[in-house]
Amino acid sequence: MGGHSNWPEWIYIGVIVALLVWVGAEAWNVERLIEHVPEDAKVIKVTGQQWFWSFEHEDGTTEIGELHLETGKAYKFEVTSTDVIHSFNIHDYVVLMDAVPGRVNTVWFAPTEAGEHDIQCREYCGLIHYNMRAKLYVEDPA
Amino acid sequence: MRLQRTVILLALAALASTPALVLPEAWAAGGDEPGEYLDRRTEIWNLFFRLMVVAFTIGAIVSGTIIWQVWRFRESNPNAKPTPYEEKGEW
Repeated sequence: MGGHSNWPEWIYIGVIVALLVWVGAEAWNVERLIEHVPEDAKVIKVTGQQWFWSFEHEDGTTEIGELHLETGKAYKFEVTSTDVIHSFNIHDYVVLMDAVPGRVNTVWFAPTEAGEHDIQCREYCGLIHYNMRAKLYVEDPA
Repeated sequence: MRLQRTVILLALAALASTPALVLPEAWAAGGDEPGEYLDRRTEIWNLFFRLMVVAFTIGAIVSGTIIWQVWRFRESNPNAKPTPYEEKGEW
């Protein structure tokens, strides 16, 4: 390769490497940010089973098929399953976490506005998976 | 060689400095106070937007380079020079 100049290739490699490093750093950072649960987050135990969702609040009250939360508070979901693998999803708030038997996975979010949102299963879990839904009611604090 | 070294150094500098650029902003955005919680929708969709910008940039660079190479090194290009092998008829 005598006398052959390959500087464009090195610039090409440099640009691509720099962009990929930036992509990796940004993704790592956002993941770290959204996984950091606020200390005052209220814990809600979420259980998936064929084919409905049940929720247990910190004070022991339970809800089935619906969940009532308040704006301005952070909630940490402890998600598990009693039978097969489900996936707990609040689409409007980009909340998604697998519900795995024998394991507790956590995800948190803080609702910002009052309203109604769908909760659904996002992992095929059997015959009535398509209708394994619940309703999230976000209300302003009384 | 000096240019290669410079490019490698620049890439390594990017590797080393990116966390330093990103982390202070991240730490500042901790948001543990009540009512100041991080909005995961915003964070995730913003990340998606930034990554799509990078993906399309890389896509444009790669496909642009391939298109340029095909155009520049085509046989009918007036500037095309035969390789030593072609000149000697060895292929």
